[in-house]
Amino acid sequence: MIEVRGLEVRYGDFTAVAGIDLDVRRGEIFALLGTNGAGKTTTLEVLEGFGTRTGGTVSVLGLDPATERAALRNRLGVQLQEGGFVEELTVLETLQLWQKLVGRPDRPERLLERFELNDRRTVAVSKLSGGEKRRLDLAMAVWGSPELVILDEPTTGLDPESRRRTWDAIQELQEAGRTVVLTTHYLEEAEALADRVAIMHAGRVAVRGTLSEIVAAQPSGFSATLPPGVTDLPGLSGTVERGAEAVRVRTNDLQGDLTAFLGWAAARGVQLSDLRAAPASLADIYHTVRTEEQR
Amino acid sequence: MTAATLTSTSSTASPTSRVLALAATEAKLVLRNRTVAVSSILMPLALGIFWAFSFGGRDAPPGAGAIVAALQLGVVLSMGIYVTATQILVARRHSRVLKRMRTTGLSDRGLLVATVAPSVVLGFGQLVVLAVFGAVTRTAVPVDAVPLVLAVVGGIVLAVTAALATSVVTPSPERSQITTLPLTFVLLGGAVATSVIPLTIAPLQALAFVPGAAVGQLVQLAMTGATWSPGFAGIPMVVPALVGLVLWSVVFGLLAARNFRWDPRR
Repeated sequence: MIEVRGLEVRYGDFTAVAGIDLDVRRGEIFALLGTNGAGKTTTLEVLEGFGTRTGGTVSVLGLDPATERAALRNRLGVQLQEGGFVEELTVLETLQLWQKLVGRPDRPERLLERFELNDRRTVAVSKLSGGEKRRLDLAMAVWGSPELVILDEPTTGLDPESRRRTWDAIQELQEAGRTVVLTTHYLEEAEALADRVAIMHAGRVAVRGTLSEIVAAQPSGFSATLPPGVTDLPGLSGTVERGAEAVRVRTNDLQGDLTAFLGWAAARGVQLSDLRAAPASLADIYHTVRTEEQR
Repeated sequence: MTAATLTSTSSTASPTSRVLALAATEAKLVLRNRTVAVSSILMPLALGIFWAFSFGGRDAPPGAGAIVAALQLGVVLSMGIYVTATQILVARRHSRVLKRMRTTGLSDRGLLVATVAPSVVLGFGQLVVLAVFGAVTRTAVPVDAVPLVLAVVGGIVLAVTAALATSVVTPSPERSQITTLPLTFVLLGGAVATSVIPLTIAPLQALAFVPGAAVGQLVQLAMTGATWSPGFAGIPMVVPALVGLVLWSVVFGLLAARNFRWDPRR
Protein backbone atom coordinates (compact mmCIF):
# COMPACT_ATOMS: atom_id res chain seq x y z
CA MET A 1 0.00 0.00 0.00
CA ILE A 2 2.69 2.43 1.09
CA GLU A 3 6.37 1.67 0.91
CA VAL A 4 8.92 4.27 1.94
CA ARG A 5 12.67 3.66 1.88
CA GLY A 6 15.27 6.09 3.11
CA LEU A 7 12.99 9.13 2.82
CA GLU A 8 14.85 12.35 3.37
CA VAL A 9 13.52 15.90 3.22
CA ARG A 10 15.81 18.88 3.62
CA TYR A 11 15.15 22.59 3.41
CA GLY A 12 18.50 24.22 2.99
CA ASP A 13 20.46 23.29 6.10
CA PHE A 14 17.44 22.01 7.99
CA THR A 15 16.68 18.30 7.82
CA ALA A 16 12.98 17.71 8.48
CA VAL A 17 13.05 13.99 7.72
CA ALA A 18 16.37 12.18 8.02
CA GLY A 19 16.05 8.89 6.18
CA ILE A 20 13.01 6.90 7.31
CA ASP A 21 11.46 3.60 6.18
CA LEU A 22 7.73 2.96 6.45
CA ASP A 23 5.45 0.14 5.37
CA VAL A 24 1.69 0.42 5.52
CA ARG A 25 -0.37 -2.62 4.60
CA ARG A 26 -3.74 -2.63 2.91
CA GLY A 27 -6.65 -2.40 5.34
CA GLU A 28 -4.71 -1.28 8.38
CA ILE A 29 -4.77 1.85 10.47
CA PHE A 30 -1.26 3.17 10.81
CA ALA A 31 -0.39 5.91 13.28
CA LEU A 32 2.61 8.22 13.08
CA LEU A 33 3.28 9.52 16.56
CA GLY A 34 5.60 12.26 17.63
CA THR A 35 5.95 15.74 19.02
CA ASN A 36 5.60 18.92 17.00
CA GLY A 37 8.51 19.22 14.61
CA ALA A 38 9.21 15.48 14.62
CA GLY A 39 8.64 15.36 10.85
CA LYS A 40 5.18 13.78 10.78
CA THR A 41 3.44 16.37 8.62
CA THR A 42 6.41 16.62 6.28
CA THR A 43 6.28 12.84 5.83
CA LEU A 44 2.54 12.96 5.08
CA GLU A 45 3.05 15.76 2.57
CA VAL A 46 5.50 13.60 0.67
CA LEU A 47 2.99 10.72 0.65
CA GLU A 48 0.29 13.10 -0.63
CA GLY A 49 2.54 14.32 -3.41
CA PHE A 50 2.81 17.89 -2.05
CA GLY A 51 6.21 17.77 -0.45
CA THR A 52 9.45 17.43 -2.35
CA ARG A 53 11.77 14.74 -1.09
CA THR A 54 15.51 15.15 -1.33
CA GLY A 55 16.27 11.45 -1.00
CA GLY A 56 14.81 7.96 -0.88
CA THR A 57 12.03 6.16 -2.69
CA VAL A 58 8.30 6.39 -2.04
CA SER A 59 5.49 4.25 -3.42
CA VAL A 60 1.85 4.97 -2.55
CA LEU A 61 -0.74 2.60 -4.07
CA GLY A 62 2.02 1.55 -6.44
CA LEU A 63 2.59 5.11 -7.63
CA ASP A 64 5.32 7.66 -7.00
CA PRO A 65 3.51 10.64 -5.47
CA ALA A 66 6.17 13.06 -6.69
CA THR A 67 5.59 12.29 -10.38
CA GLU A 68 2.21 10.52 -10.48
CA ARG A 69 0.09 12.73 -8.25
CA ALA A 70 -2.56 13.06 -10.96
CA ALA A 71 -3.19 9.30 -10.93
CA LEU A 72 -3.08 9.19 -7.14
CA ARG A 73 -5.56 12.03 -6.58
CA ASN A 74 -8.74 10.06 -7.18
CA ARG A 75 -7.73 7.21 -4.91
CA LEU A 76 -6.60 9.28 -1.96
CA GLY A 77 -8.55 11.27 0.64
CA VAL A 78 -6.65 13.89 2.61
CA GLN A 79 -7.36 15.89 5.75
CA LEU A 80 -4.89 18.70 6.26
CA GLN A 81 -3.64 19.62 9.70
CA GLU A 82 -5.70 22.79 9.54
CA GLY A 83 -7.82 24.90 7.27
CA GLY A 84 -8.54 24.34 3.64
CA PHE A 85 -12.00 25.89 3.81
CA VAL A 86 -13.53 28.80 1.98
CA GLU A 87 -14.90 30.36 5.16
CA GLU A 88 -17.67 32.29 3.39
CA LEU A 89 -19.29 29.16 1.96
CA THR A 90 -21.93 27.28 3.92
CA VAL A 91 -21.50 23.66 4.97
CA LEU A 92 -23.83 22.47 2.22
CA GLU A 93 -22.21 24.70 -0.44
CA THR A 94 -18.81 23.34 0.56
CA LEU A 95 -19.95 19.75 0.11
CA GLN A 96 -21.79 20.57 -3.13
CA LEU A 97 -18.64 22.12 -4.55
CA TRP A 98 -16.71 19.07 -3.38
CA GLN A 99 -19.18 16.86 -5.23
CA LYS A 100 -18.35 18.66 -8.48
CA LEU A 101 -14.60 18.61 -7.94
CA VAL A 102 -13.78 15.19 -6.53
CA GLY A 103 -13.65 12.23 -8.91
CA ARG A 104 -15.27 9.79 -6.47
CA PRO A 105 -19.07 9.71 -6.35
CA ASP A 106 -20.80 10.50 -3.07
CA ARG A 107 -23.67 12.63 -1.78
CA PRO A 108 -23.60 15.68 0.49
CA GLU A 109 -26.71 14.34 2.23
CA ARG A 110 -24.99 11.12 3.28
CA LEU A 111 -22.06 12.99 4.83
CA LEU A 112 -24.24 15.63 6.51
CA GLU A 113 -26.07 12.73 8.09
CA ARG A 114 -23.00 10.68 8.98
CA PHE A 115 -21.11 13.57 10.55
CA GLU A 116 -24.15 15.09 12.26
CA LEU A 117 -23.98 18.39 10.39
CA ASN A 118 -27.55 18.36 9.10
CA ASP A 119 -28.77 21.19 11.29
CA ARG A 120 -25.70 23.28 10.40
CA ARG A 121 -26.02 22.90 6.62
CA THR A 122 -26.88 26.54 5.89
CA VAL A 123 -24.29 27.96 8.29
CA ALA A 124 -21.12 29.57 6.91
CA VAL A 125 -17.97 27.56 7.67
CA SER A 126 -16.56 30.63 9.49
CA LYS A 127 -19.38 30.31 12.06
CA LEU A 128 -18.81 26.62 12.85
CA SER A 129 -17.27 25.50 16.13
CA GLY A 130 -13.84 23.88 16.03
CA GLY A 131 -15.35 20.42 16.40
CA GLU A 132 -17.90 20.98 13.65
CA LYS A 133 -15.21 22.27 11.32
CA ARG A 134 -13.10 19.22 11.96
CA ARG A 135 -16.11 16.99 11.24
CA LEU A 136 -16.71 18.72 7.93
CA ASP A 137 -13.00 18.35 7.27
CA LEU A 138 -13.17 14.60 7.86
CA ALA A 139 -16.31 14.34 5.72
CA MET A 140 -14.37 15.87 2.82
CA ALA A 141 -11.42 13.52 3.38
CA VAL A 142 -13.59 10.39 3.32
CA TRP A 143 -15.74 11.66 0.43
CA GLY A 144 -16.47 8.75 -1.91
CA SER A 145 -14.68 6.32 0.41
CA PRO A 146 -11.16 6.46 -1.07
CA GLU A 147 -8.83 3.45 -0.93
CA LEU A 148 -6.37 5.37 1.21
CA VAL A 149 -7.17 8.13 3.70
CA ILE A 150 -4.43 10.33 5.16
CA LEU A 151 -5.40 12.31 8.26
CA ASP A 152 -3.08 14.87 9.85
CA GLU A 153 -3.97 15.18 13.52
CA PRO A 154 -7.68 14.42 13.04
CA THR A 155 -8.63 14.99 16.68
CA THR A 156 -6.31 17.78 17.84
CA GLY A 157 -8.36 20.32 19.77
CA LEU A 158 -11.48 18.17 20.00
CA ASP A 159 -13.40 17.47 23.19
CA PRO A 160 -13.46 13.82 24.38
CA GLU A 161 -16.92 13.15 22.95
CA SER A 162 -16.03 14.50 19.48
CA ARG A 163 -12.80 12.57 19.60
CA ARG A 164 -14.68 9.37 20.34
CA ARG A 165 -16.97 9.99 17.37
CA THR A 166 -14.04 10.66 15.09
CA TRP A 167 -12.50 7.37 16.18
CA ASP A 168 -15.75 5.62 15.27
CA ALA A 169 -15.67 7.16 11.80
CA ILE A 170 -12.05 6.09 11.32
CA GLN A 171 -12.83 2.55 12.45
CA GLU A 172 -15.75 2.45 10.00
CA LEU A 173 -13.30 3.17 7.22
CA GLN A 174 -11.22 0.20 8.25
CA GLU A 175 -14.30 -2.01 8.44
CA ALA A 176 -15.04 -0.98 4.85
CA GLY A 177 -11.59 -2.25 3.87
CA ARG A 178 -9.92 1.15 3.54
CA THR A 179 -6.42 1.97 4.67
CA VAL A 180 -5.84 4.87 7.04
CA VAL A 181 -2.63 6.71 7.87
CA LEU A 182 -2.92 9.28 10.63
CA THR A 183 -0.69 11.40 12.79
CA THR A 184 -1.38 12.20 16.39
CA HIS A 185 0.20 13.45 19.59
CA TYR A 186 -2.26 11.42 21.61
CA LEU A 187 -1.03 8.08 22.80
CA GLU A 188 -4.50 6.89 23.72
CA GLU A 189 -5.58 7.63 20.18
CA ALA A 190 -2.90 5.38 18.74
CA GLU A 191 -3.74 2.77 21.34
CA ALA A 192 -7.45 2.91 20.50
CA LEU A 193 -7.12 2.92 16.73
CA ALA A 194 -3.83 1.83 15.29
CA ASP A 195 -2.80 -1.64 14.19
CA ARG A 196 0.75 -0.46 13.92
CA VAL A 197 2.57 2.69 14.91
CA ALA A 198 5.83 4.45 14.22
CA ILE A 199 7.11 6.97 16.71
CA MET A 200 9.03 9.77 15.06
CA HIS A 201 11.49 11.98 16.79
CA ALA A 202 13.75 14.62 15.23
CA GLY A 203 13.14 13.39 11.68
CA ARG A 204 13.73 9.71 12.41
CA VAL A 205 11.57 6.73 13.29
CA ALA A 206 12.63 5.89 16.84
CA VAL A 207 10.34 2.90 17.44
CA ARG A 208 7.97 0.98 15.19
CA GLY A 209 5.77 -2.10 15.15
CA THR A 210 2.45 -3.29 16.52
CA LEU A 211 1.58 -1.90 19.91
CA SER A 212 2.05 -5.26 21.63
CA GLU A 213 5.48 -5.70 20.02
CA ILE A 214 6.56 -2.26 21.12
CA VAL A 215 5.22 -2.70 24.61
CA ALA A 216 6.78 -6.16 24.98
CA ALA A 217 10.19 -4.83 23.98
CA GLN A 218 10.11 -2.24 26.73
CA PRO A 219 10.70 -2.81 30.43
CA SER A 220 7.60 -3.03 32.61
CA GLY A 221 7.43 -1.06 35.80
CA PHE A 222 5.94 -0.54 39.18
CA SER A 223 5.72 2.43 41.45
CA ALA A 224 4.80 3.18 45.03
CA THR A 225 4.94 5.92 47.62
CA LEU A 226 6.96 5.23 50.77
CA PRO A 227 6.24 6.73 54.19
CA PRO A 228 8.50 9.69 55.16
CA GLY A 229 11.93 8.81 56.52
CA VAL A 230 12.44 5.57 54.61
CA THR A 231 15.62 5.97 52.60
CA ASP A 232 16.84 2.43 52.01
CA LEU A 233 15.64 0.01 49.33
CA PRO A 234 16.26 -3.64 48.54
CA GLY A 235 18.58 -4.68 45.72
CA LEU A 236 16.59 -4.83 42.46
CA SER A 237 17.55 -5.86 38.94
CA GLY A 238 15.71 -2.94 37.30
CA THR A 239 16.50 0.76 37.30
CA VAL A 240 15.19 2.76 40.22
CA GLU A 241 14.06 6.37 40.08
CA ARG A 242 13.76 7.85 43.53
CA GLY A 243 11.91 10.99 44.56
CA ALA A 244 11.56 12.20 48.16
CA GLU A 245 8.98 9.52 48.83
CA ALA A 246 8.04 8.18 45.41
CA VAL A 247 9.79 5.14 43.97
CA ARG A 248 9.59 4.15 40.35
CA VAL A 249 11.18 0.96 39.04
CA ARG A 250 11.54 -0.13 35.43
CA THR A 251 12.53 -3.73 34.96
CA ASN A 252 12.61 -6.67 32.59
CA ASP A 253 11.82 -8.97 35.52
CA LEU A 254 8.60 -7.54 36.92
CA GLN A 255 7.70 -10.59 38.98
CA GLY A 256 11.15 -11.00 40.56
CA ASP A 257 11.67 -7.35 41.42
CA LEU A 258 8.13 -6.86 42.67
CA THR A 259 8.45 -9.93 44.91
CA ALA A 260 11.73 -8.62 46.32
CA PHE A 261 10.25 -5.15 46.86
CA LEU A 262 7.11 -6.37 48.60
CA GLY A 263 9.13 -8.85 50.71
CA TRP A 264 11.39 -6.04 51.81
CA ALA A 265 8.43 -3.81 52.67
CA ALA A 266 6.77 -6.58 54.69
CA ALA A 267 10.00 -7.48 56.57
CA ARG A 268 10.75 -3.81 57.35
CA GLY A 269 7.16 -3.02 58.24
CA VAL A 270 6.90 -0.27 55.64
CA GLN A 271 3.36 0.77 54.67
CA LEU A 272 3.25 1.37 50.86
CA SER A 273 0.66 3.61 49.31
CA ASP A 274 -0.27 4.14 45.62
CA LEU A 275 1.23 0.78 44.66
CA ARG A 276 0.89 0.15 40.93
CA ALA A 277 2.40 -2.38 38.55
CA ALA A 278 1.90 -2.32 34.81
CA PRO A 279 3.51 -3.29 31.54
CA ALA A 280 5.12 -0.40 29.71
CA SER A 281 2.56 2.03 28.34
CA LEU A 282 3.01 3.89 25.13
CA ALA A 283 3.51 6.92 27.36
CA ASP A 284 6.60 5.29 28.89
CA ILE A 285 7.95 4.46 25.46
CA TYR A 286 7.31 7.96 24.23
CA HIS A 287 9.07 9.31 27.27
CA THR A 288 12.03 6.97 26.76
CA VAL A 289 12.38 7.98 23.12
CA ARG A 290 12.45 11.64 24.00
CA THR A 291 14.84 11.39 26.92
CA GLU A 292 17.22 9.12 25.01
CA GLU A 293 17.30 11.61 22.17
CA GLN A 294 18.12 14.43 24.55
CA ARG A 295 21.15 12.66 25.95
CA MET B 1 -30.53 8.81 -5.80
CA THR B 2 -29.25 5.38 -6.73
CA ALA B 3 -25.66 4.31 -6.94
CA ALA B 4 -25.94 4.04 -10.70
CA THR B 5 -26.95 7.66 -11.22
CA LEU B 6 -24.30 8.75 -8.78
CA THR B 7 -21.60 7.05 -10.76
CA SER B 8 -22.84 8.40 -14.05
CA THR B 9 -23.11 12.01 -12.84
CA SER B 10 -19.73 11.96 -11.25
CA SER B 11 -17.69 10.06 -13.77
CA THR B 12 -18.85 12.37 -16.55
CA ALA B 13 -17.41 15.35 -14.68
CA SER B 14 -14.88 16.59 -17.22
CA PRO B 15 -11.84 18.71 -16.36
CA THR B 16 -13.67 21.69 -17.90
CA SER B 17 -16.80 21.21 -15.81
CA ARG B 18 -14.68 21.09 -12.66
CA VAL B 19 -12.92 24.33 -13.57
CA LEU B 20 -16.29 25.94 -14.32
CA ALA B 21 -17.74 24.74 -11.01
CA LEU B 22 -14.92 26.28 -8.99
CA ALA B 23 -14.84 29.46 -11.12
CA ALA B 24 -18.60 29.93 -10.59
CA THR B 25 -18.14 29.54 -6.83
CA GLU B 26 -15.26 32.04 -6.82
CA ALA B 27 -17.34 34.54 -8.82
CA LYS B 28 -20.20 34.14 -6.36
CA LEU B 29 -17.78 34.85 -3.51
CA VAL B 30 -16.47 38.04 -5.15
CA LEU B 31 -20.03 39.33 -5.47
CA ARG B 32 -20.90 38.20 -1.93
CA ASN B 33 -17.94 40.02 -0.39
CA ARG B 34 -18.93 43.68 -0.32
CA THR B 35 -15.41 45.06 0.12
CA VAL B 36 -14.08 43.15 -2.86
CA ALA B 37 -17.16 43.88 -4.94
CA VAL B 38 -16.78 47.62 -4.35
CA SER B 39 -13.02 47.85 -4.80
CA SER B 40 -12.75 45.59 -7.83
CA ILE B 41 -16.01 46.24 -9.70
CA LEU B 42 -17.67 49.50 -8.68
CA MET B 43 -14.50 51.57 -8.25
CA PRO B 44 -13.03 50.93 -11.72
CA LEU B 45 -16.43 51.47 -13.31
CA ALA B 46 -17.12 54.68 -11.41
CA LEU B 47 -13.64 56.05 -12.16
CA GLY B 48 -13.94 55.08 -15.82
CA ILE B 49 -17.26 56.89 -16.20
CA PHE B 50 -16.06 59.88 -14.18
CA TRP B 51 -13.04 60.32 -16.45
CA ALA B 52 -15.19 60.00 -19.53
CA PHE B 53 -17.34 62.89 -18.30
CA SER B 54 -14.39 64.98 -17.16
CA PHE B 55 -12.07 64.69 -20.15
CA GLY B 56 -14.26 63.32 -22.93
CA GLY B 57 -17.10 64.69 -24.95
CA ARG B 58 -17.45 66.22 -28.40
CA ASP B 59 -15.62 69.48 -27.60
CA ALA B 60 -12.67 67.74 -25.92
CA PRO B 61 -9.19 68.54 -27.27
CA PRO B 62 -7.55 66.02 -29.65
CA GLY B 63 -5.91 63.17 -27.76
CA ALA B 64 -8.40 63.35 -24.89
CA GLY B 65 -10.18 60.28 -26.22
CA ALA B 66 -6.96 58.29 -26.05
CA ILE B 67 -6.31 59.41 -22.46
CA VAL B 68 -9.81 58.46 -21.36
CA ALA B 69 -9.63 55.05 -23.05
CA ALA B 70 -6.16 54.38 -21.62
CA LEU B 71 -7.28 55.43 -18.13
CA GLN B 72 -10.31 53.17 -18.35
CA LEU B 73 -8.36 50.22 -19.67
CA GLY B 74 -5.57 50.83 -17.16
CA VAL B 75 -7.84 51.02 -14.15
CA VAL B 76 -9.76 47.89 -15.13
CA LEU B 77 -6.58 45.94 -15.83
CA SER B 78 -4.88 47.06 -12.62
CA MET B 79 -7.62 47.43 -10.01
CA GLY B 80 -10.26 45.25 -11.58
CA ILE B 81 -8.13 42.30 -12.65
CA TYR B 82 -4.55 42.47 -11.33
CA VAL B 83 -5.28 43.46 -7.73
CA THR B 84 -8.41 41.30 -7.42
CA ALA B 85 -6.74 38.20 -8.83
CA THR B 86 -3.72 38.68 -6.56
CA GLN B 87 -5.93 39.09 -3.49
CA ILE B 88 -7.96 35.99 -4.28
CA LEU B 89 -4.87 33.87 -5.00
CA VAL B 90 -3.14 34.95 -1.79
CA ALA B 91 -6.30 34.52 0.31
CA ARG B 92 -6.90 31.02 -1.04
CA ARG B 93 -3.32 30.02 -0.45
CA HIS B 94 -3.30 31.52 3.04
CA SER B 95 -6.39 29.56 4.11
CA ARG B 96 -4.90 26.42 2.50
CA VAL B 97 -7.79 26.19 0.08
CA LEU B 98 -5.41 25.85 -2.86
CA LYS B 99 -3.69 22.97 -1.11
CA ARG B 100 -6.95 21.26 -0.33
CA MET B 101 -8.27 21.77 -3.87
CA ARG B 102 -5.20 19.98 -5.13
CA THR B 103 -6.55 16.82 -3.49
CA THR B 104 -9.60 16.95 -5.79
CA GLY B 105 -9.86 15.93 -9.44
CA LEU B 106 -8.79 19.43 -10.53
CA SER B 107 -5.43 19.76 -12.24
CA ASP B 108 -3.04 22.42 -10.94
CA ARG B 109 -3.55 24.46 -14.08
CA GLY B 110 -7.33 24.08 -13.86
CA LEU B 111 -7.21 25.22 -10.25
CA LEU B 112 -5.32 28.41 -11.12
CA VAL B 113 -7.56 29.13 -14.10
CA ALA B 114 -10.67 28.72 -11.95
CA THR B 115 -9.22 30.95 -9.22
CA VAL B 116 -8.35 33.89 -11.51
CA ALA B 117 -11.20 33.45 -14.02
CA PRO B 118 -13.80 35.48 -12.09
CA SER B 119 -11.48 38.52 -11.93
CA VAL B 120 -10.93 38.29 -15.68
CA VAL B 121 -14.61 37.84 -16.52
CA LEU B 122 -15.66 40.68 -14.21
CA GLY B 123 -12.90 42.91 -15.62
CA PHE B 124 -13.97 42.12 -19.15
CA GLY B 125 -17.57 42.94 -18.22
CA GLN B 126 -16.42 46.35 -16.93
CA LEU B 127 -14.66 47.02 -20.22
CA VAL B 128 -17.83 46.17 -22.13
CA VAL B 129 -19.84 48.58 -19.98
CA LEU B 130 -17.24 51.33 -20.45
CA ALA B 131 -17.06 50.67 -24.19
CA VAL B 132 -20.83 50.90 -24.56
CA PHE B 133 -20.80 54.06 -22.48
CA GLY B 134 -18.00 55.50 -24.61
CA ALA B 135 -19.82 54.65 -27.84
CA VAL B 136 -23.07 56.22 -26.66
CA THR B 137 -21.43 59.43 -25.43
CA ARG B 138 -18.92 59.38 -28.31
CA THR B 139 -16.07 59.91 -25.81
CA ALA B 140 -13.47 57.90 -27.61
CA VAL B 141 -13.97 56.43 -31.03
CA PRO B 142 -11.15 54.23 -32.31
CA VAL B 143 -10.11 54.51 -35.95
CA ASP B 144 -8.54 51.04 -35.92
CA ALA B 145 -10.02 48.31 -33.73
CA VAL B 146 -7.10 45.88 -34.08
CA PRO B 147 -4.66 47.57 -31.63
CA LEU B 148 -7.52 48.08 -29.17
CA VAL B 149 -8.33 44.36 -29.22
CA LEU B 150 -4.62 43.61 -28.81
CA ALA B 151 -4.45 46.02 -25.86
CA VAL B 152 -7.40 44.32 -24.15
CA VAL B 153 -6.27 40.74 -24.74
CA GLY B 154 -2.57 41.41 -24.09
CA GLY B 155 -3.41 43.58 -21.10
CA ILE B 156 -5.51 40.84 -19.51
CA VAL B 157 -2.74 38.27 -20.01
CA LEU B 158 -0.27 40.72 -18.50
CA ALA B 159 -2.55 41.44 -15.51
CA VAL B 160 -3.10 37.73 -14.80
CA THR B 161 0.58 36.71 -15.06
CA ALA B 162 1.51 39.73 -12.93
CA ALA B 163 -1.03 38.61 -10.32
CA LEU B 164 0.48 35.10 -10.24
CA ALA B 165 3.97 36.56 -9.87
CA THR B 166 2.89 39.05 -7.19
CA SER B 167 1.24 36.28 -5.18
CA VAL B 168 4.68 34.68 -4.89
CA VAL B 169 6.08 37.69 -3.00
CA THR B 170 2.93 38.32 -0.93
CA PRO B 171 3.04 36.49 2.41
CA SER B 172 -0.51 37.27 3.61
CA PRO B 173 -3.83 38.63 2.32
CA GLU B 174 -3.36 41.91 4.23
CA ARG B 175 0.02 42.40 2.61
CA SER B 176 -1.44 42.13 -0.89
CA GLN B 177 -2.75 45.69 -0.52
CA ILE B 178 0.87 46.84 -0.40
CA THR B 179 2.55 44.39 -2.77
CA THR B 180 0.14 45.24 -5.60
CA LEU B 181 0.69 49.00 -5.29
CA PRO B 182 3.91 49.45 -7.31
CA LEU B 183 2.73 47.57 -10.36
CA THR B 184 -0.71 49.20 -10.17
CA PHE B 185 0.93 52.63 -10.38
CA VAL B 186 3.33 51.63 -13.14
CA LEU B 187 0.56 49.98 -15.14
CA LEU B 188 -1.89 52.84 -14.78
CA GLY B 189 0.69 55.63 -15.10
CA GLY B 190 2.49 53.94 -17.98
CA ALA B 191 -0.71 53.33 -19.91
CA VAL B 192 -1.94 56.90 -19.50
CA ALA B 193 1.41 58.53 -20.29
CA THR B 194 2.12 56.49 -23.39
CA SER B 195 -1.38 57.04 -24.73
CA VAL B 196 -0.41 60.66 -25.46
CA ILE B 197 3.40 60.59 -25.78
CA PRO B 198 3.58 60.75 -29.58
CA LEU B 199 4.88 57.58 -31.14
CA THR B 200 6.06 59.64 -34.08
CA ILE B 201 9.11 60.49 -31.96
CA ALA B 202 10.74 57.13 -32.62
CA PRO B 203 12.98 56.74 -29.51
CA LEU B 204 9.95 57.18 -27.25
CA GLN B 205 8.61 53.92 -28.63
CA ALA B 206 11.07 52.29 -26.25
CA LEU B 207 8.62 53.17 -23.45
CA ALA B 208 6.74 50.08 -24.61
CA PHE B 209 9.16 48.14 -22.41
CA VAL B 210 7.80 49.68 -19.22
CA PRO B 211 5.33 47.04 -17.94
CA GLY B 212 1.83 48.00 -18.98
CA ALA B 213 2.91 51.07 -20.95
CA ALA B 214 2.44 49.15 -24.18
CA VAL B 215 -1.29 49.17 -23.45
CA GLY B 216 -1.28 52.98 -23.73
CA GLN B 217 0.66 52.89 -26.99
CA LEU B 218 -1.84 50.46 -28.48
CA VAL B 219 -4.71 52.75 -27.40
CA GLN B 220 -2.96 55.69 -29.10
CA LEU B 221 -2.57 53.62 -32.28
CA ALA B 222 -6.25 52.68 -32.15
CA MET B 223 -7.12 56.39 -32.09
CA THR B 224 -4.62 57.56 -34.74
CA GLY B 225 -4.83 54.50 -37.00
CA ALA B 226 -1.04 54.54 -37.42
CA THR B 227 -0.81 50.88 -36.43
CA TRP B 228 1.28 49.75 -39.34
CA SER B 229 3.10 53.01 -40.08
CA PRO B 230 6.86 52.68 -39.90
CA GLY B 231 8.31 53.74 -36.57
CA PHE B 232 11.79 53.28 -35.17
CA ALA B 233 14.11 51.73 -37.81
CA GLY B 234 11.14 51.34 -40.12
CA ILE B 235 9.48 48.73 -37.89
CA PRO B 236 5.68 49.09 -37.77
CA MET B 237 4.61 51.10 -34.72
CA VAL B 238 2.52 48.25 -33.29
CA VAL B 239 5.52 45.93 -32.99
CA PRO B 240 7.38 47.40 -29.97
CA ALA B 241 4.14 47.56 -28.01
CA LEU B 242 3.38 43.92 -28.76
CA VAL B 243 6.92 42.87 -27.86
CA GLY B 244 6.63 44.79 -24.58
CA LEU B 245 3.37 43.09 -23.65
CA VAL B 246 4.56 39.61 -24.55
CA LEU B 247 7.92 40.13 -22.87
CA TRP B 248 6.49 41.16 -19.50
CA SER B 249 3.83 38.46 -19.60
CA VAL B 250 6.56 35.87 -20.18
CA VAL B 251 8.75 37.33 -17.42
CA PHE B 252 5.89 37.34 -14.90
CA GLY B 253 4.72 33.93 -16.07
CA LEU B 254 8.17 32.39 -15.66
CA LEU B 255 8.63 33.99 -12.25
CA ALA B 256 5.31 32.53 -11.13
CA ALA B 257 5.92 29.11 -12.67
CA ARG B 258 9.32 28.80 -11.01
CA ASN B 259 8.40 30.06 -7.55
CA PHE B 260 4.67 29.56 -7.14
CA ARG B 261 3.76 28.29 -3.68
CA TRP B 262 0.60 26.34 -2.94
CA ASP B 263 1.23 26.29 0.76
CA PRO B 264 1.48 29.32 3.08
CA ARG B 265 4.27 27.71 5.09
CA ARG B 266 7.92 28.17 4.25
